[in-house]
This record gives sequence, C-alpha cells and structure tokens, in this order.
Amino acid sequence: MAARVTQVDREAVRRSTGALGVAATLRGLRVTSRHFIRNLWGWMVGKPQVRTVMVPEEEDPKPAAFRGMPVLVALDSGKERCVACGLCEWACPVDCIHIEPGETVDEVERYPRVFDIDMGRCMYCGLCEEACPEEAIVMSARVDISAFSRAGLLWHKDQLLTPASQLARRLAYIREDYGRR
Amino acid sequence: MNRKVIEAGRDVLDLPSDALELKLGPSHPATHGTVRILLQLDGERIRKAEVEVGYLHRGFEKECESGQYYQVFPYTDRLNYVSPMINNVGYALACEKLFDLKTPERCQFLRVIASEASRIADHLTCLGACSLELGAFTAFLYAVEARESAWDILDAMCGARVTTNYVRIGGLSHDTDPSFPELARHKLADVARLQKDFEDLLLGNPIFRERMEGTGMLPAPELIALGVTGPVLRAAGVPYDLRRLAPYLVYDRLDFDVPVGGAGDNMDRFLVRTEEIRQSARMIEQCLARLPGGPVDIDDPLIRLPGKGKVFGRMEELIGQFKVVTEGPKPPPGEVYFAVEGGTGELGFYLVSDGTGKPVKCRARSPSFSNTQALSRMVEGSLLADVIPTFDMINMIGGECDR
Amino acid sequence: MVGESQTAGQGDEAAAQHPLLRALAGRFGARVLGTHAWRGDVSAVIEAGALLEVARFLRDGGEAGFDMLLDVTAVDYLGRAPRFEVVYHLVATTSGARIRLKVPLDGAEPALPSLVSVWPGANWLERETFDMYGIRFEAHPDLRRIYLYDEFEGHPLRKDYPKQKRQPLIGPGSRAESGSTR
Ligand code: SF4
Ligand code: SF4
Repeated sequence: MAARVTQVDREAVRRSTGALGVAATLRGLRVTSRHFIRNLWGWMVGKPQVRTVMVPEEEDPKPAAFRGMPVLVALDSGKERCVACGLCEWACPVDCIHIEPGETVDEVERYPRVFDIDMGRCMYCGLCEEACPEEAIVMSARVDISAFSRAGLLWHKDQLLTPASQLARRLAYIREDYGRR
Repeated sequence: MNRKVIEAGRDVLDLPSDALELKLGPSHPATHGTVRILLQLDGERIRKAEVEVGYLHRGFEKECESGQYYQVFPYTDRLNYVSPMINNVGYALACEKLFDLKTPERCQFLRVIASEASRIADHLTCLGACSLELGAFTAFLYAVEARESAWDILDAMCGARVTTNYVRIGGLSHDTDPSFPELARHKLADVARLQKDFEDLLLGNPIFRERMEGTGMLPAPELIALGVTGPVLRAAGVPYDLRRLAPYLVYDRLDFDVPVGGAGDNMDRFLVRTEEIRQSARMIEQCLARLPGGPVDIDDPLIRLPGKGKVFGRMEELIGQFKVVTEGPKPPPGEVYFAVEGGTGELGFYLVSDGTGKPVKCRARSPSFSNTQALSRMVEGSLLADVIPTFDMINMIGGECDR
Repeated sequence: MVGESQTAGQGDEAAAQHPLLRALAGRFGARVLGTHAWRGDVSAVIEAGALLEVARFLRDGGEAGFDMLLDVTAVDYLGRAPRFEVVYHLVATTSGARIRLKVPLDGAEPALPSLVSVWPGANWLERETFDMYGIRFEAHPDLRRIYLYDEFEGHPLRKDYPKQKRQPLIGPGSRAESGSTR
C-alpha cells in the first residue's frame, strides 16, 4: 500500500506515430469512424449514443440529490410550513433571503408575512435547506428563473409556495438522508 | 513608418525593426477569457511576455472573513471550478485541523472518491481544451464527454456538477445511496473508454507532437524557486505530490503511481496528466471496494448539524441547531495551514481564528496563481505559437488564480 | 516572546523541542521574536530586519533546504500593536518539511524587505499582498497592484475597508468619462 513514482512513457508516443505519421493518421480515422458509425446506428434504431438532451422539450434526468432553486413547502391547507424562525436567513451566505415575521392565531404562532428570495443572488447552495428545522424550505428540481427585469428575479412568498406533493422526491430524499444521522 | 531609402544605389524598403506589441487576451479564445498576455515580438520570437491577471477577482478572502466557517464552502466551489470537490475537501480538512477533529472512515473514503473524480474532470478539461486550441476539435469532444461521466459521479454524490458544496466541517452534506458504487464503476468505464479514444486520436499525431515536444520547458530548480507545483512540476521530474509526501485522508492506504516526466516540456505535462487520470480511477476503484459502512458525520451537535429527525423531536438538538446556524461552530484561537493536492498543484488553506465563529483570515494558496507566474519565463525566447500549448498545460483556472 | 502574536503561548513547549526552531533561535538570537508549534505547524516570528538573512539560511543552510516559497500573505489585527503580520509559508520539496515565518509590522507605513532575490516566486505573491494590504516590499522589482486597477483607492483586505464599499467605475463607458447621468 503505497505510492510509487513512475516515469511517463514518451517512447511509446514516439513509436505510435509511425513512419511519416501514417500509422497515427490511420488510427485516428479508425477512432472517428467508429464513433460516427456507433452514433449513426444508435440514432437509426432510436437509441442515440450521444448525450445531447433536447431541453426544454425533453426532460433532463436529474439525480435524487439534485439541487434546484429553493422553494417553500406548502401544507395541504395551502399555508406555508415555515414558522419564520429566520435560521435560513442566517445561514444564507449571500443574504438573499428576506423574511418579515407576523403573528397568527394558529398553534405555530408565527408565520412569515413576507418571504422573499432574490433569485439573482441565490446560488442554489442548499445551506438554507440544511439549516431549516421545519423542512419548510427545500431545494426543488426547478431551475427556470428567467425574468425580464431584475425585479422579476425577486421571488415572493406566493411564487415560492409549492405543494408538498410536487416536492415528494426531495422531501423523501432529505428525510432518508437526515434520518441516517 | 516605411520609407524608401537609397542604399548602395538601390531602392530598399526600410522596415521598422522595433518590437511588435501584441496583446493576447483577455478575450482570446485560448486564454479562456480571463487573462491578458502582453507580448513583445521580434518577428515570431517572443522577446518579453508579461502576464496580467485579475479579471476574475471577486474578493474571496473578504467574503470569507465576513461569514461563519461553514458559509465558506459555496465560495470554495468557485475557486478551481473544474475540480470543486478538491477545494471543498481542502477547506474542510483545514477547518478540521483547526478544530482538531477526525472524521469517520466512511466520510474519508467518500472524500477521496470525490477528490479523485474531480481530478479526473480537471485533467480532462485541461487536456481537452489543449487539444481544441491546437486544432483537434474531435479530441476535445471526446474529452468533454468523458468529463461528463466524471461529473456524473459527483452529481450522484452531491446533486451538482460544478457548484458542489458537498463537504462540511466534520462530515459531508449527504451520504451516498447503496447504488452509488455500481454507478461510479460504470462511469469510470466510460471515462476509460473515451480516454483511450482520445489518446489514440491525438498522441501520435505528428502535428500535435511537434507543437508539444520541446516547448515551454524550464529546468526543475527554476520551477521550484518560482513556486510551481502540480503536474507541471512533476513533468520536470520532481515527485512533489502531497498524496505521496504528506498523505491525508486515506491516501496512505491506497496503491497508486505518481507519474513524473523527464524533459519537463509540454508533452511531459500532457502525459503526466493522462497517467494521473488512470491512477485516479484506480484509487476510486480501491475506495469503492473498501468503502466501509457507518456514519459520515461526526457526532457533535455543536459542530455538525444534528439530523432533522432529531431536531423535530428534541429540544436539546433544536437549540443546538440554532446555535450552530447563528453563531457557527467555534474553533479555539490559533492558526493552521493545510494543503491538499489540487488539480493544478498544492492547494493550501491558511486559517487564523480568534476563537469566534468567523475566521480572522481565510486564505487560499492557489496553485494556479504561482504556476501562471512562471508562464512568462517559459515562453520568453520561444515562438509565438508556443504560448498556446504552454498556457494550456499550465492550466490556469481564473477562479482560482484571481480568487 | 509571548504576546507578539495571536497564537503565542500555544505549544511553546513543543516549539522548544523542535530542532529547526531551536536552530533558528540559536543562530539569530533575539531577532527571532518567538517560536511556536501548534497542530503540527511550526512557526517562527522574526524581525523585519532579519528576514532576508533568515530566508537565505532556511534555503541554503541547515539540512532541511526550504527550496520553495509557497505563499506570502498578511493578516490585519486591527486594534492591536503591531497591527500587521506578514506570513510566509515555506516547504522543502524533497522532504515535505514545512515552516511558517511571521513578521510583525506597524500600522503606519508597513514595509519590509522583498524576498524576490531569494525565491523569484515571491514576485506576484508580494504584489498581491501589497495590493490587498498596502504593505510595501522594499527592493521589489515591480511593486504595483496585481488584481485591482491602478486607480483603485485603498486596500480591500484591511479590516477597516468596508466590505460593501463601492469604487467609481473607470475606463471607457464609465459615467465620469461619458458624462452621462444614467
Ligand atoms: S440556496 Fe443558498 S444562496 Fe440560495 S437562498 Fe438558500 S442559502 Fe441562500
Ligand atoms: S429556517 Fe425554515 S422555518 Fe425558519 S424561517 Fe427559514 S424556512 Fe422558515
């Protein structure tokens, strides 16, 4: 078990060129034609070998751990889970979350009257999700933040609220993962 | 200012003979958009080269000093943005040295896997970009396709390809699921297949060889004096690799080769990198085979956030959560320097703590910065065309160089 | 010895045992203001006047042979005297031995000798430290800003430079030049 120091093999490169570079050229042609035929055949039988995904017509497959934009989880009642504790605001390195707490007569007592995320600054880091003690802010799979103005990049509470059913995959993922600890 | 002069009875064109100033970059396709090289040319020969950096400067250190220790991680992603995991790991290890922590086995193995997959991506980007800039477009496509596979490994670990933010002080943001080793092996096979095609297509090519061989050389003692590390230094025959010299994580338990070159020209630098990709894949395979079970995080609610399940139910953990987020974990006062082997060389973090939750100083010793400094010495006296392969093989990453 | 540095007092006993630090202290006497070893890092606090000699000694003298200067940076301890500390990290590429040198500097006009003559790699690193902290390196061949533009006012990594401070735009298209009131 150890690291060994070895010498790179320049001689092999020299040999592989062949006289006047003919061998190298033929080898290059073989590689490119193989790729060409493989891709063409894949395309003909409907199993493309290239990795191009026709976004947005096609869905780009995303891993379970994927972090898109942070959104607020909505309860079945349509209200937010968030209790305006402000931890996500603290944790955010770029200060892009703005919360103004309000009081409610519900059992949770507090709710965010204003909850804005500046998507122009958010870097999808996920620290807010990690800090939230209520699973109220999670990283969705959405990445479509384009807007016509800077003001349009400031997302308000009503835009951020997403039904828990649409976030099922992420919620299951973080629950399973955090459960391990 | 051409003028006709009569010399020995003939009309002779008197051409200006002062040096031609050429500004290469900052938006030259081969400078990756972030650096300017001021060249003084005498015909095709470079008399003097001056490198100007700073186009991507964004105040990394100032930002770090204004946040908690754990808030630095997203910024480290953006240092060397082609191998972000290594930066994450390096910063976490520096913090752990400061806090005096030891992470669980599983975490260490996963960190090595993440670092090496990043290194593969880093080297493939470097080699691919080099081939592209020397005119071999097809080879570039194979390299980035292979890089995509390497990024898939990172993607499965942390959910992002470039902005990873994966490592935490005392752990990782997520554990991997049981299907991960299978996927990683599959992706490594893809990388190996494409790398072979890439090499078959490119290495023996006479044009490629002529542009790489014997260019950009500098003797090893001079490289050392200039502070050059990483593949560039190893290509000159100096086996300076921190994974071998000062093994961190579990590198001392892995079997791997440290390839070195002899002449130290661009060809050696290229070959060192191609071999390092293979060695990284070898290390990942060993880690996958030996990946132990158990937790990935240390069990200390004052440093690593407790699990969500616990926070929901228990007051103590909830208070811990509030403390860790608002005040941040607090290290003892002191200062540490910790370095890891980054994609381009020694990536060190120097942290100074005064006992509060915010660093007094968080410095990244970036290998690209020191390596880029050597560029002018490498190209002075050579031909203009040699700047491109030399610059590529130095692999200056703007985010890391300019911080 | 103690009190010169943030971390002085920690690991002083370990430092007294370290052969390299002992050799340094023995050779340069009172010009080595302090030594410490903490978390496996060894450092020596030295006088600015002794820097060049110490650097040459570490490179050529002794068996370690610190042939590479890894990093030059500074730390601003605002409100403490001396205010600045310039920090050097050295490594011996063959053995992997490391040492950190620290030079305390006063706040008014911080200056110390340049190490470019010992390690040419110090060139850019010292320029960066000058750019960020306004510390002058005497006899540096080309001491000017490296990241920021020449018209930039102040030194951003000093603790008294506000993080959000704006500087006027310069160059073509800036307001000052075009006279526009956008
Ligand atoms: S994802 Fe990161 S940057 Fe975005 S709101 Fe959350 S903490 Fe802030
Ligand atoms: S941390 Fe969670 S509960 Fe607290 S304010 Fe943020 S989203 Fe709401």
